[in-house]
Amino acid sequence: MSKNYRILDLLRRGRTPLENHLIDGLIDGRISRREFVRHGSLLGLSLPLLGRIGMAAGFGAAPSLARAAGAAGGTIRVGSSVPAAAIDPVTIADAGGLVVMQQVAEFLCVDGPDLVLKPALAESWKPNADGTVWTFTLRKGVKFHSGGEMKADDVVASIDRLADPANSSNALSVFTGILQKGNTKKVDDYTVEFHLDAPNGNFPYMVSSDNYNAVIIPASYKGGYEQSFDGTGPFKLEKYTPKVGASFVRNDDYWGDKALPDRTEFTFFTDIQPQILALQGGQIDIINQMPVLAGVGLLNDPNVDIISLKSVAHQQLHMQCDADPFKDPRVRRAIALSIDRKKLVAGLMKGRAQEGNDSPFASVYPSTDPSVPQREQDIAQAKQLMEAAGAGKGFKVTLTTERYLEIPEYAQLIQNWVKEIGIELELNILDQGAYYGDAVFGKSNWLDSVMGITDYGHRGVPNVYLAAPLKSDGTWNAAHFKNKDYDQLATSYIAALDLEAQKATAGKIQKLLLEETPVIFGYFYDYLTATAKGVTGVQPTAMSQLFLDKASKA
Amino acid sequence: MVFLGGQVLPGNVGRAILGPFADQRAVDALNHSLGVDRPLLVQYGTWIWNFLHGDMGTSYIFRAPVAPFVIDALGNSMKLALVAFVLVVPIGILGGVIAALNLNRPLDRIISLGGLSVTVLPEFVTGIILILIFGVWLRWLPIAAAWPKGAGFFTQLYYLILPSLPLFLVLFGYIARMARSGMIEALDSDYTRTAVLKGLPWRTVIWRHVLRNALLPTITVIATQTGYLIGGLVVIETLFRYQGIGSLIFTAARGKDFPMLEAGILTIGIVYAVATLVADFLYSVLNPRIRLGREQ
Repeated sequence: MSKNYRILDLLRRGRTPLENHLIDGLIDGRISRREFVRHGSLLGLSLPLLGRIGMAAGFGAAPSLARAAGAAGGTIRVGSSVPAAAIDPVTIADAGGLVVMQQVAEFLCVDGPDLVLKPALAESWKPNADGTVWTFTLRKGVKFHSGGEMKADDVVASIDRLADPANSSNALSVFTGILQKGNTKKVDDYTVEFHLDAPNGNFPYMVSSDNYNAVIIPASYKGGYEQSFDGTGPFKLEKYTPKVGASFVRNDDYWGDKALPDRTEFTFFTDIQPQILALQGGQIDIINQMPVLAGVGLLNDPNVDIISLKSVAHQQLHMQCDADPFKDPRVRRAIALSIDRKKLVAGLMKGRAQEGNDSPFASVYPSTDPSVPQREQDIAQAKQLMEAAGAGKGFKVTLTTERYLEIPEYAQLIQNWVKEIGIELELNILDQGAYYGDAVFGKSNWLDSVMGITDYGHRGVPNVYLAAPLKSDGTWNAAHFKNKDYDQLATSYIAALDLEAQKATAGKIQKLLLEETPVIFGYFYDYLTATAKGVTGVQPTAMSQLFLDKASKA
Repeated sequence: MVFLGGQVLPGNVGRAILGPFADQRAVDALNHSLGVDRPLLVQYGTWIWNFLHGDMGTSYIFRAPVAPFVIDALGNSMKLALVAFVLVVPIGILGGVIAALNLNRPLDRIISLGGLSVTVLPEFVTGIILILIFGVWLRWLPIAAAWPKGAGFFTQLYYLILPSLPLFLVLFGYIARMARSGMIEALDSDYTRTAVLKGLPWRTVIWRHVLRNALLPTITVIATQTGYLIGGLVVIETLFRYQGIGSLIFTAARGKDFPMLEAGILTIGIVYAVATLVADFLYSVLNPRIRLGREQ
């Protein structure tokens, strides 16, 4: 398709230099259409506009995100895990709880299944020239279930509440070093500015569904969320029974398209096996989150559809860089080279994963530099490295980890692979509580073990993975990795507003981490949702949220 | 004891609620607002004081009073235990009696061996097999034990059949075996021979002389199993998604939710004590020799 420069010029008018630079990248072929859509949405360009630019640049129409609408009515029944604690937007941290909260409360923007940000309560957003101030324009006429209109005051209060260290906020680990209490400012009733501590090119993700605490609730909220379940969402709470289940009904005052189902019903399960049986037995329509190992039986079940989202969830294998036997980076590299990633993806994860390249830059991130070669299994080279590091005779070391998902099986595979290069691994597999301990250095098996495997959930941008587990002062730096060059690169990646600048820095980080290998990223696994045949319009996110407003049953 | 034991477990309440990736400042703030950063003795004292005044406390995790959780869970556990009990005790005893009366004949072998074989199968194995057969293939019985809100007695019973079956299988072999060996011993004894020789009908011998003596050890066994039936069903409760007191205590212990844990364990303690007391009463009804304090 040819490029239509006349239309392109029209569309470029009034765009910022940054936005025009992105458009240039698309026209010149430096960035792909997918990357263009994703980064454009981050900069606050609307999806229709991105589609028009894409068309004019000769890429054809963007695929419609809307699906064929199913029939309205009926009750959609979901199986999900038991909320682990009282549901409170400030403290919530578990998948079971946040899917319930997200049925009634909404975010400024939503990180969709394709990692493209979509507007929700905010209609648009824009950074200033250096990315230190982001301005969000709010949607007008959005009503809380309790009656009042959602305005800038509510947004300021909701975000400030999360940035306040005195509030037991679970989002504090996201906002630390980025956004402080008091720096979310109301401009007028429908405009909010975020004044950041440092330039940040990916800030909209921090107030999207990616930061699952960041739902917008009334400014007057004082705790006790389970008493009100107030929000702006397409469903309203009907009934919530802790540990048992929850049900919701359609919100007829919703600002967007009204939800298709009359009702939704969530049933809480403590384990995955009963959920699988309940889906097969026809007692639920959807399993919100299904780990691949437990769900193997459903993957080929003709009565079940699997929704598979590419996610960045992964298990980090850390090696303490300041302790024997891992002081020498050659030993760490040797271990990474002994691992057969193709087998991990095909065997352990049944193909529902992507290979990792020992950095947080998964292939699904548009900023990942694809020219950095993938690390493959190479036993001969691994043996050479062991020799060169003076560890040719091998050694014995303990791998400490948690009993969670496929981690114990992963640990056993590693145990077998490193045997080939003379390393004897002793596995110490603990209960999750015992593994994490107090989660501070000196009081945690996770942070104090010489070698360990830790589960990390999905994030729409790699910022969190780049900082806490890898920066010298990172609070989750189990590898005790201290590298000034790395710190600088990570800071400049986080600050970069421009996709190409991000990509260039990402490439450097990828190479540095391959060289140092403080952490092995073996694979990034998909997020699986199972639905009964005939159930359509279900939209999960890899953060375990579940959008049911377009769901219907045949 | 529970209070002290819980302190040894790694982690703390704030951490358990907020997760390993939460900021330490947030964890400290939460611990402070829950009052779990106070000295242990102060926490224990406050809890005991409130408990003695009829206040079971407020759950750390759910931030709601503990009492409704415990009472609901206990009610559910008792219902399930009762259904299992009503199924297994008569059938188990009957099985044992039949086996003993057919000693070493094929029927005895079938009951003894069959009962023993299913007893050694853990309930999560039998549970899953039963769910597959009755819930997934035949679709006769509901898979989850939680009945719809406001369900009547028979509906509740219908929902409880499937979860009580694995319990039945676990206990049947045990009870039948105890009843069988009690019967064998009683049938072998001098008083039975005397009863037969003095010309009593066989039926009367069994009812009046044999059963009464044979069932004593069985009752002790049943009484000790009551505690298991009510408090020890974590696996069954998980599998059938049933809100019983076993899983309540289990999750409370994992989350370091002490008020919930203490209340749950005290409740089970009381249930044990009551079950043992009832067994003692039954014992004395069946066995006049241990009725105390009565003039000969």
